[in-house]
Amino acid sequence: MKKSFAVFWKRNLAFANLAIVSNLEYRLNYFIDAIVQPLTTTGIEILLWFAVFKGAHTATINGYGREFYLSYALWAAFFARIATSWMYEFRMIEEIGSGTINSLIVRPMSFYEYYLSQLLGYKFITTVISLIVPIIAAYIFHLPTIYSRMPLAVVLCFYYLILVHTISFLVCCAAFYLTKISSFTVAKNLMFWILTGELFPLDLMPEPFRSKIIALPFSSGVYLPVGFVTGRVGIHEMMNGFVSVTIWLIVLNLLGAWFWKKGLSSYSGTGA
Amino acid sequence: MNIVIETSDLTREYKTYQKPEGLANSLKGIFKREYTSKIALDKTNLKIESGKIIGLVGANGAGKTTLLKILSGLVTPTNGDAKVLGFRPWERKYEFLRQISILLGQKNQLWWDISPVDSYALLAKIYDLDSTVARKRVNDLSEMLQCSHVLNTQLRRLSLGERMKMEIIGALLHEPRILFLDEPTIGLDIVAQENIRNFLAGYVREKEPTVILTSHYMDDIATLADRLLLISKGNIVYQGTVNEFVTNSNSELAQDEKVDFEEVIRRFLETESRIR
Repeated sequence: MKKSFAVFWKRNLAFANLAIVSNLEYRLNYFIDAIVQPLTTTGIEILLWFAVFKGAHTATINGYGREFYLSYALWAAFFARIATSWMYEFRMIEEIGSGTINSLIVRPMSFYEYYLSQLLGYKFITTVISLIVPIIAAYIFHLPTIYSRMPLAVVLCFYYLILVHTISFLVCCAAFYLTKISSFTVAKNLMFWILTGELFPLDLMPEPFRSKIIALPFSSGVYLPVGFVTGRVGIHEMMNGFVSVTIWLIVLNLLGAWFWKKGLSSYSGTGA
Repeated sequence: MNIVIETSDLTREYKTYQKPEGLANSLKGIFKREYTSKIALDKTNLKIESGKIIGLVGANGAGKTTLLKILSGLVTPTNGDAKVLGFRPWERKYEFLRQISILLGQKNQLWWDISPVDSYALLAKIYDLDSTVARKRVNDLSEMLQCSHVLNTQLRRLSLGERMKMEIIGALLHEPRILFLDEPTIGLDIVAQENIRNFLAGYVREKEPTVILTSHYMDDIATLADRLLLISKGNIVYQGTVNEFVTNSNSELAQDEKVDFEEVIRRFLETESRIR
């Protein structure tokens, strides 16, 4: 048992390492993904909030001043970078659709762990670099940020990332039957854009939507960690976030295991 | 006699969407689609001994790759049963997967964006191999295949022949007990084919794995195979040695006519294509 855990651990570190090594092979692509994309998103969000405050002719919205919203926009772009999976979900779908999955399922490892470790490895290396952008911006513009809360916020966001991967795994299982399903990813991620709180803080929503949407696990991706770091959310809500993600992880992983088994039994080993 | 692969009534059926020509039919297909069934493998019964090289020969679409895919755990059969090293392959138990390897000549199995040495280091972790032992094995195999100079080059930048050598090293790194080789020399020039054939012959003599080999190059089969399995429309139609097969075929010919293995297979495949 001890040995098998050590093997599992070594193998998954190697997968995380693979993600880092293969992404660093294409330096410009990596640089744009880690720096240019978050800079662009942050710029757009900040401009949007400037426009909102200017147009509304008010100093506060929902009890918070402009600096709070600028800070939210800044950190939301950073956390949303962690909490979203486009590239690896597309790859997982493509592996099944094109049959390149053949080389993975005949090896003593699981498809789920292989991609989860790669996703975590890649997010880790991009997070370290992307973090430079909001830290410098918050310092220059004196935006409200509670740095001591950052570690817990990052932990919740990475924990939520496991749920994001589980959802990706469920989506890719559909490729066993439908082959090309990348439109699912686009539709799903657009929905998450709102549900995570990336577009705007979820506490701006009217009731009864507000409490219900915050109770969903998706708020743990952006709204809760960003709210925690910018002072909109307390520790109690953060703990609720951990509980919500845990419950959904258990349910969706059971569902995923079932779908995977069904999908593989109908798989025809495409292309070889 | 140590049987390592055994199948009983192994059957696989595929369903395929038939799309009639034209835009109107594409629109119709949104609401209703017609599927046809094809039996790729039909009630196949096999027993394969340990340490033998089996040459699996048949026309395109005869069921060779389907049989290989089922025995390696890639595909689940529609009916029937199979045991490979005592495991049901499609259950994909780790203990089973650690002892087999499949090389699909038409697919890359190493990682495209990284160098082969990085791929082998990853494979060593996946198969839980000691890194020093794995590195030594890579060095030995690459020397035998004369490809040590490209081990550090990104896979995507290698020629087809070099890539195939890298794939072979990847497939043999964990010293599998069962090796499935699906057209390992496809697309290679005559010299490269011969090199790989000689390498495989030497490797098999030394390590004695059980090998199932499919190839459209009859030299591969004639040089390497201990036994021949001839497959036609999902059915095994001949099991025996290459020599017996040639002798039997020659005995059916006119007295002054003698043909070699390649010619017998060519005639068999021609008959096949006429019957289809």
